[in-house]
Amino acid sequence: MPVNLILKPKLHKKYLYRCLQCIPSHFASYDTTRLVLAFFAISGLDLLKDLNNLKKQQKIIDWIYSLQVVDDKELVSGFQGSTTLNTIENRNQTAPYKWCHIAGTYTALWDDLSRVNKEAIARSLKVLQLPNGVFCASLKVLQLPNGVFCASKDGSESDMRFIYCAACISYIIDDWSGVNIEKATDYILKSLTYEFGFAQAPQLEAHGGSTYCAIASLALMGKLSALTETQRKHIIRWLLNRQKDGFQGRPNKPVDTCYSFWVGAALKILDVFDFVDFDQNKTYVLSTQDNLYGGLSKWVDTTSDPLHTYMGLSGLSLMKYDELEEIHFRRNTIDLSIRF
Amino acid sequence: MSDSSDEEISQQKWVFYKDRPDWKDVEPIPQDDGEEPVVTIAYSKEFTDVYDYFRGILKTQEKSERALQLTKDAANLNPANYTVWQYRRDIIKALKKDLREELEYIRQTIRKHSKNYQVWHHRKVLVEWLNDGSEELEFTKSILETDDKNYHAWQHRQWAMKTFKLYEGELDYVDSLLQTDIRNNSAWNQRYFVVNNTTGFTDVVLSNEIDYTLNKINIAKENESAWNYLRGLLLHDKEGLSKNQKVVKFCEDLYNSGNRSAFLLALLVDMCDEEITQGSGDVLLARQKGIDLCKELASNYDTIRCKYWEYMANTLEKKGTGTDEACTSSTAN
Repeated sequence: MPVNLILKPKLHKKYLYRCLQCIPSHFASYDTTRLVLAFFAISGLDLLKDLNNLKKQQKIIDWIYSLQVVDDKELVSGFQGSTTLNTIENRNQTAPYKWCHIAGTYTALWDDLSRVNKEAIARSLKVLQLPNGVFCASLKVLQLPNGVFCASKDGSESDMRFIYCAACISYIIDDWSGVNIEKATDYILKSLTYEFGFAQAPQLEAHGGSTYCAIASLALMGKLSALTETQRKHIIRWLLNRQKDGFQGRPNKPVDTCYSFWVGAALKILDVFDFVDFDQNKTYVLSTQDNLYGGLSKWVDTTSDPLHTYMGLSGLSLMKYDELEEIHFRRNTIDLSIRF
Repeated sequence: MSDSSDEEISQQKWVFYKDRPDWKDVEPIPQDDGEEPVVTIAYSKEFTDVYDYFRGILKTQEKSERALQLTKDAANLNPANYTVWQYRRDIIKALKKDLREELEYIRQTIRKHSKNYQVWHHRKVLVEWLNDGSEELEFTKSILETDDKNYHAWQHRQWAMKTFKLYEGELDYVDSLLQTDIRNNSAWNQRYFVVNNTTGFTDVVLSNEIDYTLNKINIAKENESAWNYLRGLLLHDKEGLSKNQKVVKFCEDLYNSGNRSAFLLALLVDMCDEEITQGSGDVLLARQKGIDLCKELASNYDTIRCKYWEYMANTLEKKGTGTDEACTSSTAN
């Protein structure tokens, strides 16, 4: 392997520490998902075996808890994705539009959970699930005069990503009362396409990201057995066909670093990851490293970003890398709770 | 990630909200990011100014024309802020604004940020409120012209088609996309979507679709999308994968002509596999043929998946010889 195709852990650590501190103004469109960025950085540093050096651990946790919302009236409990709506006045209080976001809640839950209001989260999770089984990201619940709760329809989009978030949250808080598992399973199976990949919603195109979300959700819900042997066989074929050198997300699309994780982890859950060509996969992912500033990107010679840095490291970790911790491939992070 | 629109704003001789006389009565509220924030964004001055006032009106729940304009500036600075869009919709409802005007605004916004979830969701809600999907096909088509695999555009298009029954002419559109790019997997998926929701895969439709697909495979034999579609079609053949004479003959001819597309070989393997499972025809011959194909794939034509094809060869070898579990138990019965 050429010299520049060696993992550069030091550079990536530096990059992720920089992300944890401050990111430039052109990242403004990440303003509502800063918690997700923190998750990428922290989990990335953990993969790089550097968590103990994170000197500000307690402060990071305190910042994350400042995003917690406990609101049993509007049933919007969980974690916000950012502090955009936080003010001194509404600190630790409910306020209009101060709602949790399901991805925020998922990425917040990584300490010992001692300050997490799990019951409130489960109660709020329940209302995010629509009658067809899929989950919304965020919405306010209106209580009708007769006492019935009615989710406001215009709240947010709904798709496979949020089923995965709901499954992760329930798994982590060890409380599944917020999820109707049968309905979620039904929705997932309906999203299996003629190509035998899963789409974001029924009848849409099969996609590597949604296939990971679908399979990981089934695994977390204990429902992998809902797939027939034939389906499983064809899904494995579709997933393996995504490898070109690195992995692509759909047929005839370019490869992209993040699919080394999404597709790789789905294969791992199905217990067939060893069919992957490790050398070619490694070579591709490593070629997307920024050898000057650190971080990884989706393609060779493009700007690195926190998502692809974390996904690239995760993808490498699936192949058991000496410099990297082994990833907890269902929850998309290794189990951090034991460390705090 | 979308580009920040700071530059655009400054070009329009931007006046800070704090310097606007008509906003004097509103109290700007700073963001509380705690004592030790992480992943801090170096907000531009415009960003801080707009969002201070956004927090201000959110507190008083002001729903007015100026508040509506403010949400536009806030969305412009960060189109991914779902609260801004939610509040904008709440204002639109309260002021009974012209939804057509809003539809035009979101059309322009989606053109600038066509991979952003929130702007597409906003459009969907507006179309639901209007209960009119007549512009959606034309609109999504215009987005697909710049990116014909844009997942959001396809999702919105399918939703509109299902909601407002807009299937007419779609197969022609799909065909035109495939003529432009025969490898456009999104278009192939859309083809399946249309047939599935209109005629269904009746015997006649199935036969026509198979002809169409074989024709496309002839043009590009390494095109996974067409091969996947063919497999999808065969799911509707009651006889299974290996009994459709047209497809079987096509595959055999292609193989005999010397073509070694990995997708062709893989389909032939699956046909052999099915014959062995069903116990139809010459099982021993099918097994040997399947194993040979797997070996060809592993060593020459799909080497990146060689471990998989070796495994498949082993699986076929055990199949029907009484060494695999299923056969052991059926023998025992």
